[in-house]
Amino acid sequence: MFNDLRVSAFLATRSIQRGGRGRNAMYIIIIALVLTNMIFLPSVIMGAMDVYYEQTIDYISSDVIIKPPEDVRYIDDVETLLATVNRVPGVVRASARYPMAGSIDFEDKNVAMKIDAFDPRDETEVTLFHKHIKDGDFLGSGDRDQIIIGSLVAGEKDDTGEFYASLGGATVGDSVSVRYANGVVREYRIKGIINTKSYQADYMVFVTKDEMDAVTGPGGAQATEVLVKTISNEDAPLVKKRILEFGVGENVKTWEEALPDVVSESIESFAIINMISVFGGLVIAVVLIFIMTTIKTFNNRKQIGILKAIGLKKSIIINSYVMQVIFICLIGAIVGSLLLGAMVLTFTTYPIEFPDGNVTPIVTWAMIVENTALLFISSAIAGFIPAWRVTNEGILEAIRGG
Amino acid sequence: MDEYIKVGDLRKRYTMGTLEVSAVDGVTFSVRKGEFMGIMGSSGSGKSTLLHMLGLLDPPTKGTIAIDDKDVISLSESEKGMFRLSRFGFIFQDYALVPELTAEENVSLVAMARGEGPESYSRRSRQLLSQVGLGDRMAHLPSELSGGEQQRVAIARALINTPEILFADEPCANLDSTNSRAVLDLFQTINQKMNLTVIMVSHENWHMEYFDRVIRLRDGKIHEDFRPEKTEAATSPLRL
Repeated sequence: MFNDLRVSAFLATRSIQRGGRGRNAMYIIIIALVLTNMIFLPSVIMGAMDVYYEQTIDYISSDVIIKPPEDVRYIDDVETLLATVNRVPGVVRASARYPMAGSIDFEDKNVAMKIDAFDPRDETEVTLFHKHIKDGDFLGSGDRDQIIIGSLVAGEKDDTGEFYASLGGATVGDSVSVRYANGVVREYRIKGIINTKSYQADYMVFVTKDEMDAVTGPGGAQATEVLVKTISNEDAPLVKKRILEFGVGENVKTWEEALPDVVSESIESFAIINMISVFGGLVIAVVLIFIMTTIKTFNNRKQIGILKAIGLKKSIIINSYVMQVIFICLIGAIVGSLLLGAMVLTFTTYPIEFPDGNVTPIVTWAMIVENTALLFISSAIAGFIPAWRVTNEGILEAIRGG
Repeated sequence: MDEYIKVGDLRKRYTMGTLEVSAVDGVTFSVRKGEFMGIMGSSGSGKSTLLHMLGLLDPPTKGTIAIDDKDVISLSESEKGMFRLSRFGFIFQDYALVPELTAEENVSLVAMARGEGPESYSRRSRQLLSQVGLGDRMAHLPSELSGGEQQRVAIARALINTPEILFADEPCANLDSTNSRAVLDLFQTINQKMNLTVIMVSHENWHMEYFDRVIRLRDGKIHEDFRPEKTEAATSPLRL
């Protein structure tokens, strides 16, 4: 068995060394491109998903989010809850959100939306809004007559290309009028405009918790969610577990659990697209290898017949072709990985600009290994079949047929 | 042993459409060990078919072949392969060398397939190539060798596993008369010095001077079985 493999390897090596280097180089390049094709699209999708996850953590839910129990609208005694959560090991800070429905008027424009409130001191430790103020400043503690708005809410003077209703080009320093759902109307100066590149985050407006208390009146603002930032590299499920162990009875979810169903469905759709992409790449590789080996074995029919005639086992001959295919795949995989590395490096330096943020392709070793293994197995089968067919011919038919 | 190869009522029929063709039709003969036998006849007489059946490359329709008292027809395909590898040497009309292997590697391949170690097969291939006059052409690819040189590489390849029987199917068909004579001289030397049984197919009458015995076929039957007279040229001393 070992000796047979040695002979196969010898024949395969010499065939690769001396038999059509240009042709082999072309096959290697094609395999490299097939592997790149198999991995690149999934890596971009993964990169886009990563951007979405980061934006969710940075602006929407933080690492852990606490909401009222089912069928309850507001969190009861949020101050005690914040104090409790802030004591949980692994928690950096918790920030409560106090929303109220309303509408914003600016010049002749009107946008109906939810107005959120937070304590700016807590919020700067939990989300990254304060780092993404395009114009103006972030809210400060005690700000009462000021508002910060997302860039999509502010909009442009020429709003013909806008997908969302906007204020038509409101800028920092402009005054807007906010009519809250409880009938209170307030005039605010725009203190800052947020630009995070996240559709969700850029379509939000914020006032301080003090202002919302004043708008709400007796009893103060009521929180609907508490965002919890964990320390770097801390496991969110672990922190969730600890929060529950501290006796928090509200609905505690990690950011992943809090993703809307539509996102989970999107992830499944992307997984299907990935599978189709990988399958397409594999089909190309299999067809290519099959044609390549068929042509080679057909051209070598006579030689295969002679090798059988002088006593070489069929398995030696078949394995020599399979080994050639595997070698071409191996070198193709290495070249493809280098090509992918170069592409990732390029797109890390110059990210692909997606509407929802700058996307850097994510290529993991697991992706490379998994796709290369798939390519190897498919190619080995595609190389085996034509070699097996020709070696199964009668010796004289093969010799005469060449 | 007097009767080293025994062939009994050997037949090979082909069906071509609705027509049944009898390529070899009830051939019976025996070959002594160390005999240099020529199978001759005109085109279509069945000489190559007979050689292929003797070399276990093509199964007969009917009949028996015993080599060294062993019924070789009943062997399985893999056993026949092993038999060819260890006991036969083959030489084909168009040399049939592996184009990507050097002369030395072509010769070594067969020994390698038999499980011989690299040091041993390398030494013996070089020795054989030197004996067939290709000591300075070992590292050359077949495409860099002339037809005569390629056929000598094929002869060295056929001899590397020290076979008991050498089968040659019109080995001089693509060679000029000088190279043909060189190849036949080599066969004769191998036959005489190594006591190797040689069975060679030829349609050239002048080749008879090298053969100990000739079987001439006509329409798949033995037409003549005789021992030709040796000439001076065919009995001259040789290099091997």
